[in-house]
Amino acid sequence: MVGLAVMAALAPYPAAAQAIAYKAPRTADGHPNLNGIWQALNTANWDIQDHSAAAGTVVSLGAVGAIPPGQGVVEGSEIPYQTWALAKKKENFANRLTADPEVKCYLPGVPRATYLPLPFQIIQGGKSIMIAYEYANAVRNIPLTDPGQSPAPSWMGWSVGHWEGETLVVDVTSFNEDTWFDRAGDFHSDALHVVERYTARSPDTLTYEATIEDPKVFTRPWKMSMPLYRHVEKNAQLLEFKCVEFAEELIYGHLRKKPSK
Amino acid sequence: MDIFEKNRANELFAKVIVLALLAAVAVLGQAPTKGWAQRTPDGQPDLEGYWSNVTITPLERPAELAGKAFFTEQELAEREKRAEIPRSAEQIAGTIAHYDFHQYGLDMTQTKHALNLRTSLVTDPADGKIPPLTPEAKKRAAERAAERKKMGPYDGPESRGLGERCIVMAHEGPPMLPPAYNANLQIQQGPGYVAILQEEIHDVRIIPLDGRPHLGPNIRQYLGDSRGHWEGNTLVVDTRNFNDQTNFRGSSENLHVIERFSRIDADTIVYEFTVEDPTTWSRPWTAELPMTKIKGPIYEFACHEGNFDMVNNLTQAREQEKAAGEAAKKK
Amino acid sequence: MRTIFSIAALLLATSPALPHHAFGSEFDANKPLKLRGTVTKWELVNPHSWIRMDVKGPDGTVVNWMIEGGSPNSLFRLGFNKDSLPPGTEIIVEGYQSKDGSNRGVGAKLTFPDGRQLFLGGSAPGANPDDGSKK
Repeated sequence: MVGLAVMAALAPYPAAAQAIAYKAPRTADGHPNLNGIWQALNTANWDIQDHSAAAGTVVSLGAVGAIPPGQGVVEGSEIPYQTWALAKKKENFANRLTADPEVKCYLPGVPRATYLPLPFQIIQGGKSIMIAYEYANAVRNIPLTDPGQSPAPSWMGWSVGHWEGETLVVDVTSFNEDTWFDRAGDFHSDALHVVERYTARSPDTLTYEATIEDPKVFTRPWKMSMPLYRHVEKNAQLLEFKCVEFAEELIYGHLRKKPSK
Repeated sequence: MDIFEKNRANELFAKVIVLALLAAVAVLGQAPTKGWAQRTPDGQPDLEGYWSNVTITPLERPAELAGKAFFTEQELAEREKRAEIPRSAEQIAGTIAHYDFHQYGLDMTQTKHALNLRTSLVTDPADGKIPPLTPEAKKRAAERAAERKKMGPYDGPESRGLGERCIVMAHEGPPMLPPAYNANLQIQQGPGYVAILQEEIHDVRIIPLDGRPHLGPNIRQYLGDSRGHWEGNTLVVDTRNFNDQTNFRGSSENLHVIERFSRIDADTIVYEFTVEDPTTWSRPWTAELPMTKIKGPIYEFACHEGNFDMVNNLTQAREQEKAAGEAAKKK
Repeated sequence: MRTIFSIAALLLATSPALPHHAFGSEFDANKPLKLRGTVTKWELVNPHSWIRMDVKGPDGTVVNWMIEGGSPNSLFRLGFNKDSLPPGTEIIVEGYQSKDGSNRGVGAKLTFPDGRQLFLGGSAPGANPDDGSKK
């Protein structure tokens, strides 16, 4: 008995590479089941990089409008902007109250849609996966077979998905240049190419990774990653946040017959 | 052959094929009564795919067809043939200053639709007419009209309809009726859910099937709140919790919609809806229209993001007022 | 059930409600346009696509016009894409100018200089991309 105990004590702890990864339950057609309502719990939508707390852009909102602190989601911390692009990012930041497309309730693009402070739902069919976002009723359909060429750029891009073991890999191209990555002015061009990876890490969490490539803006590809948390409350559902009606005053107010500005 | 030439060649080809189809249709007998047997991986009857709900059948039975609930196959074939003439831009828009729908493939003659022997979409009441409005509904309509009259047509975004503001299009309902174009929707099913995405304006109704109750009365939505369950091979969707902007044919926010989706063959879903609102109609009424399978995908329809017309229209209205004001001063 | 549901490509005009604005409010039927110029950009956006084109005036100055068209989604279904109308393409636009007289109009009829319609036939019936009878 003593010998066995010694043997157990001397047995090497499983190396990280040999750790048993979590395997999600399967859907009826044998793929990891990623169905559910998910949400990021971070401040990436404010700023995908490390940021201290700071005053917001609207004085009358006081602390409610302040920027909460957060650790960044960018692996390696730095976003490898080209020189001109870094200057452009700073200009975006300075103008963010008017320039951020989220303020106008414009569609958020990818990956920003994933880490907005509102939930989204994955509906996994046999031939395609739909992701519906509560924000602005944004939606993406991700076919699991080749959908052919995108006819034109779009806000939410052109997605095609495939499975790599436990991971849903989504390749997204054909974006327009009009979305941002966050409220801090991080941006891209119409050459943006995003590869997303969704992997279950426990029954109620996913690991989300997004590799960003844009040779017009960045010097090399870079990556962000974060956990996503399942909404486990009973009867969780996405609600309607069309948000267009909340941006009308901002966009059209000065054109009213009785202008409010 | 460039794409322009290719499409002109296809037009002629399509016409030939269509005439053959019409001939085939005339010979068809009763609708197949056996349901669609295929299932999704998680065991639901399979409604998945891309569908169009374009229809030539009017919602209500025209007066000249009173008492006639169905066309004969011959009558329908004649109607379809007369309908081959694409409408002009003026006929569609009711105004001369317009782009030509046909140029953009948006004319109804350029899309696929399912044939329907019915003379109206309304099946109940049996006369094919929507029941009369209640006195309360008439009062509501008058009040809404009076409110609109207080504003000029371009005083602000609220002077325009919800569709023009890119908030929600009237056809989306529920109940769902076809828009003038892009009458496309996608049905996607996952375990415990059916999702219905309408192309205009990229709205998804995610319908849980687990029997949960509706949202409480203080959460109201443009598209209401939907709950679904299967009755055999028919998906039954119950929708409530509409908001105070709701105006389906004069309805209030008390609108209650029951939709039924039955896939009868590979290419067809029969879509039936019953609407009730005791504050609007004297009794519930029901309509039915077929949806036909189309080639996908659903393309993005980012409406609000491209809504230059709102800015242009409001700007022009203000310029016209200014010009009128200056002209008045000169008098 | 006597209703027969099957597929055909052609259809009659019932007019479901138009989704959006009265075009007569923005464009002036009394300001007809005929422009000949070269495409500078084709914006395939909703709810309306826009063709931007350079038009040379009689005095030689070039003015860029913005011409409104239809939703591009059905064009996509017919195989058109963002490369179908490249910059530099010469086109003729017949339409109506915006009420404020700016360089904006709606393109009622769009042709190439040789008279061919830009995208689809204006009056030919058929052209059904979603007809299951052909690919």
